[in-house]
Amino acid sequence: MSEKLKISIKNLNVFYAEKQALFDVNLNIMEREVTSLIGPSGCGKSTLLKCLNRMNDLIDICTMDGQVMIDGANINTPDQDPVLLRSKVGMVFQKPNPFPKSIYDNVAYGPRLHGMAQSKDELDSMVIKSLTRAGLYDEVKNRLFEAGTGLSGGQQQRLCIARALAVNPEIILMDEPCSALDPIATAKIEELIEELKRKYTIVIVTHSMQQAARVSDRTAYMHMGELIESGFTKNIFSNPQHQKTQDYITGRIG
Amino acid sequence: MNNLNKRNKAETRFKLYGISAVIIAITFLFVLLFNIFSSGVSAFKASYIGVKIEIPSAMNIDEINPRKEFKRQVLKMFPEVETRSDKRALLSLFSKGAIYEFEDLLEQSDSNGLDGYYWFLAHGDLDMYIKGTVERRGNEAGRINSKRMTFVDALREQNLIQLQANKYLLSSADSREPEMAGIRGAIVGSLYAILIAFIVSFPLGVLSALYMEKLASRNKFSDIIETNINNLAAVPSIVFGLLGLAIFLNFFSLPRSAPLVGGLTLAVMTLPTIVIASRSAIKSVPPSIEEASIGLGASKIQTLMNFTLPLAMPGIMTGTIIGIARALGETAPLLMIGMVAFVVDVPGTPLDPSTALPVQIFLWADSPERAFVERTSAAIMVLLLFLVLLNLAAIYIRNKLERKW
Repeated sequence: MSEKLKISIKNLNVFYAEKQALFDVNLNIMEREVTSLIGPSGCGKSTLLKCLNRMNDLIDICTMDGQVMIDGANINTPDQDPVLLRSKVGMVFQKPNPFPKSIYDNVAYGPRLHGMAQSKDELDSMVIKSLTRAGLYDEVKNRLFEAGTGLSGGQQQRLCIARALAVNPEIILMDEPCSALDPIATAKIEELIEELKRKYTIVIVTHSMQQAARVSDRTAYMHMGELIESGFTKNIFSNPQHQKTQDYITGRIG
Repeated sequence: MNNLNKRNKAETRFKLYGISAVIIAITFLFVLLFNIFSSGVSAFKASYIGVKIEIPSAMNIDEINPRKEFKRQVLKMFPEVETRSDKRALLSLFSKGAIYEFEDLLEQSDSNGLDGYYWFLAHGDLDMYIKGTVERRGNEAGRINSKRMTFVDALREQNLIQLQANKYLLSSADSREPEMAGIRGAIVGSLYAILIAFIVSFPLGVLSALYMEKLASRNKFSDIIETNINNLAAVPSIVFGLLGLAIFLNFFSLPRSAPLVGGLTLAVMTLPTIVIASRSAIKSVPPSIEEASIGLGASKIQTLMNFTLPLAMPGIMTGTIIGIARALGETAPLLMIGMVAFVVDVPGTPLDPSTALPVQIFLWADSPERAFVERTSAAIMVLLLFLVLLNLAAIYIRNKLERKW
């Protein structure tokens, strides 16, 4: 583990209109590690995740104060371009959401958008590289130009990961990426996460404590919009400092 | 057990109610269609009278007076006719259009002379009798008096009265003579009008729907606009006619009776329909697709253009075509802006005076001439055909665009 700070969240408060969703959250996320956010439904995990690539901008009623620093720069200052930010911070959603286009076009969308490829060959190699990294290439190499929506759920989710990888992000946010998948597909995604963390910083929201224990290096436990406890995963699960964490892990709440 | 019986019976009863409702509705529809078709189909044929024409090739056709020559040729077939009133009765069996047909014939003959039987359009009164619309009572039938009837009988004996395809119905505009009246002017006027309505209302409707649905912030003001657009869709169409009269004719001084003004008025009328259909189509695009695009670093406009609009397009097109189909059948607003005039020319540009199909139907239905009855039904058949074509286009576009993936 590199122990190099990638994302630092300081005193973050988020409001949806009058309702406060996050209370004074402070969290450090290290480079090339998997950090998982766990906690009961509605505790603000997804809200926190969306603050990291400013997806909350899309919601009119959402306001925030505090700081989110990526590589030491505040991402919420007016001169920061959210479009550039989102190409640096990729996102994988809860439900697989491939575009209604071919597998190839799904992956090529990001590179085309940002003008990353100079030629057709370059674009081809980018698509193949991303699909290979997402562990999908061998399964789809003979039908790259068929609909992405025709794949199975697990394949669709890996396609979405490949699509996110294609724009060369540094950070990948995953919002319960396995909640719509069966155990075998889930296992494949988890293997993939293990693979990807060598190159990328990964933040994953999950409902499954087993999953958090399996894939993540560090874990943060949230409750009612507050960050209760964070630290190395093995410490959190074996020796939680806080009563609420203990209750959640042992299944008493949540 | 008793309960189950009761429930089953209630279900059967309810099913029967449903079936009978459907049957009643379909019966009404069939009666209506049968009525229109049975009275309209005869308008696609017209009565023609055969005349033996003999013009020697030596004759210079430029020196021939077609009117006099035609009379001469007709009277030659009945040498026994002497008195002026008998001659007039015989000639009155022909339509005014027969002279024009004779002129065309002369021109086509190219000084080669003519010899043989040629067919000329019969008068509407005779046409009605031949088609059996007017019944014969003794020696008279409607406006065919006994004097005219002797000629009719004589011609029929020689098999010189025939029903042939009606050349005028689809190729000429309105006329005072029912046998020469056609709907081409009205069709062209209607096509111009709905084309202009589409060109104006489609971009306006889609852009305002896109803005209201995706870009505008929600506040009291946008709520008021939304409510008003919904109300606008329910405004009676004649009110839009008054609006067109006040704005396009009186304020902008655009030409009266022109398809341009009709189209603009229909565009205003269609706009709320398109906005409402487009908004619901845009709303039904899955937000997960838009999120994915934004998450990859696409801007809002890029996301709208790449995904929202293409995915909403089938719904938008369906709504638009249904709106345009409604505009095609609309009469009231066109009456207000003067597209109800009697126009004998097919309009060449959208600025020429013209009628529209539904208005033509209205005009003919109002006419006292018996011969216009079948033409009214024929015009309705053509209008229905256009509406069916538009609806088929809507279905085709929806399936084609939706089947993409």
